[in-house]
Amino acid sequence: MKPEKINRIALVLLSAAALGLPLVVRSATYLHILVLLYFYAYLTTCWNLVGGFAGVLPLGHAAFVGIGAYTSTILSLQYGVSPWLGMIVGGLLAAGVGILIGLPTFKLRGAYFALATIAFSEGLRVMVENIDRLGPFTINGPRGLQIPPLDTGLTNFMFAGKEPYYYSILVMLAGVLFLTYRISRSKLGYALNAGGEEPEAAMALGIDVARTKLIAMALSSFLTALAGTFYAQFTLYIHPKSIISLDLSFEIAFIALIGGRGSIAGPVLGALLLRPVSDFSRIYFGDTLPGMHLIIFGVVLILVMNFQPRGLQEPLTRLYQKVVNRLFHWGALEAAR
Amino acid sequence: MIYMIEDTINGILMGSIYGLTALGLTIIFGVLKVINFAHGSLLMVGMYAAYWAVALTGLHPYLTLVLVVPVMFVFGYYLQDIVIQPIFRAEKNVREPITVIIVTTGVWYILDNLTLLVFGPHYRTIQVNPLRGRMLEIGGLMISVPKLWGFVSAMVAAAAVYVFLQRTRMGRAIRATSLDRDAASLMGINPYKVYNVAFGIGTATAGIAAVTLVPFYNVFPTVGVLFDIKGFIIVVLGGLGSIGGAILGGIIIGLIESVGPQFMTATWTEAIVYGLFLLVLFVKPAGLFGVKYDW
Amino acid sequence: MKILDVREMTKTFGGLTAVDGLGIEIETGQILGLIGPNGAGKSTAFNCIAGVFPPTGGEIYFNGEKINGVKPWTLCRKGLERTFQIVKPFASKSVLYNVMVGAFAVTDKTAEAEAEALAVLKSLHFESRKDVRAGNLTIADRKRLEIARALATRPKILLLDEVMAGLRPAEVDEMVAIIKELRDRGITIFVIEHIMRAIMALSDRIVVIHFGRKIAEGTPDAVASDENVIKAYLGEEYVVS
Ligand SMILES: Nc1ncnc2c1ncn2[C@@H]1O[C@H](COP(=O)(O)OP(=O)(O)OP(=O)(O)O)[C@@H](O)[C@H]1O
Ligand SMILES: [Mg+2]
Repeated sequence: MKPEKINRIALVLLSAAALGLPLVVRSATYLHILVLLYFYAYLTTCWNLVGGFAGVLPLGHAAFVGIGAYTSTILSLQYGVSPWLGMIVGGLLAAGVGILIGLPTFKLRGAYFALATIAFSEGLRVMVENIDRLGPFTINGPRGLQIPPLDTGLTNFMFAGKEPYYYSILVMLAGVLFLTYRISRSKLGYALNAGGEEPEAAMALGIDVARTKLIAMALSSFLTALAGTFYAQFTLYIHPKSIISLDLSFEIAFIALIGGRGSIAGPVLGALLLRPVSDFSRIYFGDTLPGMHLIIFGVVLILVMNFQPRGLQEPLTRLYQKVVNRLFHWGALEAAR
Repeated sequence: MIYMIEDTINGILMGSIYGLTALGLTIIFGVLKVINFAHGSLLMVGMYAAYWAVALTGLHPYLTLVLVVPVMFVFGYYLQDIVIQPIFRAEKNVREPITVIIVTTGVWYILDNLTLLVFGPHYRTIQVNPLRGRMLEIGGLMISVPKLWGFVSAMVAAAAVYVFLQRTRMGRAIRATSLDRDAASLMGINPYKVYNVAFGIGTATAGIAAVTLVPFYNVFPTVGVLFDIKGFIIVVLGGLGSIGGAILGGIIIGLIESVGPQFMTATWTEAIVYGLFLLVLFVKPAGLFGVKYDW
Repeated sequence: MKILDVREMTKTFGGLTAVDGLGIEIETGQILGLIGPNGAGKSTAFNCIAGVFPPTGGEIYFNGEKINGVKPWTLCRKGLERTFQIVKPFASKSVLYNVMVGAFAVTDKTAEAEAEALAVLKSLHFESRKDVRAGNLTIADRKRLEIARALATRPKILLLDEVMAGLRPAEVDEMVAIIKELRDRGITIFVIEHIMRAIMALSDRIVVIHFGRKIAEGTPDAVASDENVIKAYLGEEYVVS
């Protein structure tokens, strides 16, 4: 068997496993955990478009999750707009904001962009916490918004069981992974990587580095906001402290760096490795050892950055390639016999 | 009117303490070109150190300086040497040391949550506190004594750091490394040693800030986060890397926070601070005072 | 026809005048050498022309069009391309990837960029290294990569900043041959070099600058015997390898 063929088979098997998982996992708790895992993998993949490819450090992506969640929720609760439409509106709003943040900061040292994203995200949270009504929109300050579980169904993006949510986020994740794959092999992907690594050389080679970063930022913010709508529809309750939180922003960045930023598999891998740590340590140590998972995150992060600066994706990819090569040679030998 | 003056004075005093908490941030950025996200946590560690020093020895809170500052210097020195430096070396050829920035975030998470594990979430205040609620009355104006001392220590600390950087051999090595790391290392300066010292000094100033805060501020595991975000805003307002800018930036924030509530609810002032920060980023990213590096 | 025409170009950094009223003209298809002692302002002149920063004074014309302050990426698309004295490879990426970044300046399609990049690598006898990570290359190969990337953008004029520094004599000869071949393909070359033997062998004309000012100009032989040039270099340890 050719390595490409093995890769394709592995991908098919993986997809089949992901599709079939809800048939095996019947517990609502575990499905919930899986949905959140994909949710984080999705967010991190979006983050990776700027944080990985463009080589800057966004630390306020929770703001875009919040923009997406609030936009679609306000529109559907107060104006009867379908969450699907609200999702797009939220995404466009987030893209605009992303461009506004990037516009002045992409020309400066990376630290400014990182700080601007944090400040915007924290500023947004404080605003939302302080505003009950904004013109015609009810925001409800720190109490947040509750979505009454009325009519379930695809048009309302609301379901009785967890399975439909599982498949929704799985499709979203697959979509954004495919998009990332296409971008990484396109002119934009090359330009982003080049501009992130050596901006002066990239500029000399015809790349308007600040502009490509803006494109990536707009795309990333747009896609991130879509997940905000998903989160609102999944939990049916959003409030500023939980959704526009620095913890969420940082967790995304941690997952990306530990998994391997700038690679396609890295974010998914990071989520697969880290989400269970935080879920289970919350379940088992939540009362006795609060914050245990954050200590683990911190330690793992420092160790990984020390010994695998490109993230765990690198040694695992190498291992996978070795296995594939073995299979290939073994297959060739069999055929020869 | 009298309230207005009182609020203004209070804003300047508290603001200078904010500036003091951000001083280390700006020093470390100036040299390492890295935002130290663990800075608030270092402040928190300093506050716990001061708290326990008072609780265990019964010393006057300000006398704990002689313990806290050296301990913090050593802590910062080795934190950079052992945890951060290897990542710097691994990323030597990278222009923007993103991994270093994120590793300081890891340090933040570890420090805050370890403290939570060890000391619990309780708010602590020192018991033997000769400064508690002490006020100075000048012509009908009530001024908090511990904040006044905080103001004094902020000024002294900023001046001391400035003089150190200008006048001493080590200070000059730090400045040279800050301007051009590669050129400095060609001239026989070991940049990593300089990084250690700069990190140590930055951490020590957080120790000073911690000691001045403890007499009138609660000590708890996440206390640093409040000052962290404020610190980021302050150093950008004042110009990243500028010592005077940090103090002035702090005073601006202090003034907004103390005078603002006369005109709006207190939480809105917080939003104003973020708004001002973003505005400065847009129109004058080198900081309000236009100094890139004043040393 | 003059492809590049620099008039009275000046660049100051604070109190320091790095380039001082410099005038340079290059005919299409020529190889022009730029020499001068260390710190003479050669790289600064390149940076002004290539749009890294605008000159403080004077005018720069490229194919008759004024290009003061035009950004590097726009200049690249117009056909003015440069290499860096301190090489800047995309170190974590393969050689092919590096060259494809350049090739994307002339095409939007990945397959075309790859074909173009492979053709460039082949023309530089470099294709055997296409899968090597750029960070692992030797200094000679990094310089060659720098040229390969630049070539992939299909430049009309190529500004080469010390692409032979640090190379062994045999490698220098190879590089001289490569540069001559580029000129034969119709690319105008503007080259900074310290290695006298190479610059003498390459250049149609040479401009000498000292403290940012032009002190001599002419054919290699004329420049080599110029009194001012010898004075400027006196005590300077330039390579006569
Ligand atoms: N960005 C800058 N800021 C301040 N001064 C600069 C800058 N770039 C160059 N200089 C100064 O301008 C002068 C000319 O430098 P330049 O690099 O152009 O010299 P050069 O002729 O290329 O030298 P070399 O042969 O060593 O490469 C030097 O004194 C240098 O220190
Ligand atoms: Mg030079």
